[in-house]
Amino acid sequence: MTFPMSLLTARSAAAGKTEQPAITVMVIPDSVLVGDRIRCIFSISHSGKEVATLEWRAVTDILSSRSFELISSKHLSSTPFPGSSQERFELELAVFGAGHQTLPPVTVAFRDSKGRVTKKVVYTPPVSVFVRALTDSSMHDFAPLKPPLKPQIPFLLIMPVILGAVAVAVLVLLLLFLLKRIVRRGAEKVDSSQVAQRKLRKLGSSLSAGMPPHECYEELSNIMRSFLENHYRIRALEAVTQEIERDLKKLGIAGFENIMNLLKQADLVKFADSRPDAEESRQSLQKASEVIRSTRHSRPPEE
Amino acid sequence: MQLAVELEELGTQIIEASRFLEHAEEELSLRIIGQRDVIRRVFIAMLVNGHILLEGVPGLAKTLIVSTFAAAMNLKFQRIQFTPDMLPADLVGTMIYNPKDLEFYPRKGPVFANVILADEINRSPAKVQSALLEAMQERQVTIGSQTFSLQEPFMVLATQNPIEHEGTYLLPEAQVDRFMMKVIVDYPSYDEELEIMLRSATNARKVPVRAVVQSDDIFRARTLIDRIYVDPRVQRYIVDLVVATRKPAQYGMAELETMIEYGASPRASIFLLLAAKAHAFLQHRPYITPEDVKAIVYDTLRHRIRPGYEAEADNIKPADIIRQILQHVQVP
Repeated sequence: MTFPMSLLTARSAAAGKTEQPAITVMVIPDSVLVGDRIRCIFSISHSGKEVATLEWRAVTDILSSRSFELISSKHLSSTPFPGSSQERFELELAVFGAGHQTLPPVTVAFRDSKGRVTKKVVYTPPVSVFVRALTDSSMHDFAPLKPPLKPQIPFLLIMPVILGAVAVAVLVLLLLFLLKRIVRRGAEKVDSSQVAQRKLRKLGSSLSAGMPPHECYEELSNIMRSFLENHYRIRALEAVTQEIERDLKKLGIAGFENIMNLLKQADLVKFADSRPDAEESRQSLQKASEVIRSTRHSRPPEE
Repeated sequence: MQLAVELEELGTQIIEASRFLEHAEEELSLRIIGQRDVIRRVFIAMLVNGHILLEGVPGLAKTLIVSTFAAAMNLKFQRIQFTPDMLPADLVGTMIYNPKDLEFYPRKGPVFANVILADEINRSPAKVQSALLEAMQERQVTIGSQTFSLQEPFMVLATQNPIEHEGTYLLPEAQVDRFMMKVIVDYPSYDEELEIMLRSATNARKVPVRAVVQSDDIFRARTLIDRIYVDPRVQRYIVDLVVATRKPAQYGMAELETMIEYGASPRASIFLLLAAKAHAFLQHRPYITPEDVKAIVYDTLRHRIRPGYEAEADNIKPADIIRQILQHVQVP
């Protein structure tokens, strides 16, 4: 951001008299944003017998000095003339506040060759700086928040949508219910005991055809477990014999001991390297068939 | 239906050889009420040379079980209270200088016993933990330049408290893996607690424990356990269970893939088989069935499965994962 540079000069009230020093000040720039810095160049012409010094008066009780903060000061030059001398000082100031701000007074002290102060002149620069604020200074209060806008949807417009959604949900539930009934009826049509009996007959034929008896027991165990799983809806394929026994006991299945005997016999063949003969296997198949027949009409547990 | 002749004979020998466990169990029941499963797990570990990590809140008779067990078994018992300032030398021993003959002599530490109770193992730093776990694995200890074999049977029962984790050093997975089983010691039932209270709230002297077992009984049982028949179907079932912890998708449990950070190591298969054999021995059976495997699978696998981030977020514990695996892996 650039500012027009202007030269403001002022003469002290004592200007014109030969023994009085002449002081001028130049401020660059003359219009700034709050917080910006300005340069003030003071030129002091005096008799030449003394040395002039410039003192910044950081007095907080002077209203104008509150708007300026000294950043740096330096002695720029000292130019001797016949019978007089001119000295130049530069002050760098940070500017605060807002509007026209008048520069605060400065003190010019004159010292003789021994360093003693011979004279002090308080000089109020007749110069002001225009400071532009960053915010709107006219705003004193927070504006109240506006209430949120409520959509104006008429109830009659929403009602059909709600009714439609409810109708769709009811329809889906009805369809699911019907589908479940159809699936269940289909499953009931495939009687698990009939399936098991068919598998047992097939196994008996395989045994007669020369199937090793120990393999027959393994298959018998699988048939029984599948039957129990489908008929009583217990987890039998991933369960050990003890767990099946526990589940059947819990369901109060009549004659579950016969089922368990068959499973335990199969366990002996499967896990204890027991080698039954073909006759034993045939007897076991017959027992399995009887067990399944006897449990055919027993009611499967309700879900 | 008859068993094979060899198995029939083995079964008879097992019944004979396992009597000492019944005596020991009777003796233990004089001092300990309930905790039958924990006692059985301790027997299983002793029968197959394993070590046990017991986890339970304080006051559940963990120490009493171990000390009574050691006394009934006629074994040398040492209790080591693990503390943060403990050093490996406090455990295994150190070299002591004898100024008389200007020589260093090894002084054996408390690890030189048959049954070690490593109480609150997670309270001591990793250096001490690894010193004990090395002794567990190698069954020997080196003090200075001398190596000493640990006396058999050698069994470590370490305890840790599941509720206090401040100021503890979590056992690294590699070291936890060396424990054959991690047994959760649970609260007693109402009736058991009533009996505990009535029996313990007295000034009378406690019933002394008789040593009813000899080391030879244990070694004989171990020999018979080695002969227990394991059908290939059961072998495959064990491996299936362990592999399912690593590749659950292969067993129809794709949802578990993200739940398990890593599954059980091959050490799990070994320990599962050994523990199942010991379980069959306790049932007086000369062969293993999947029931034996299922009976000890939780204790053998729970510390070998690390649940993933998702499982932890859903508060799914290793036991839940094992339950799901058991429901999906088909029993032979």
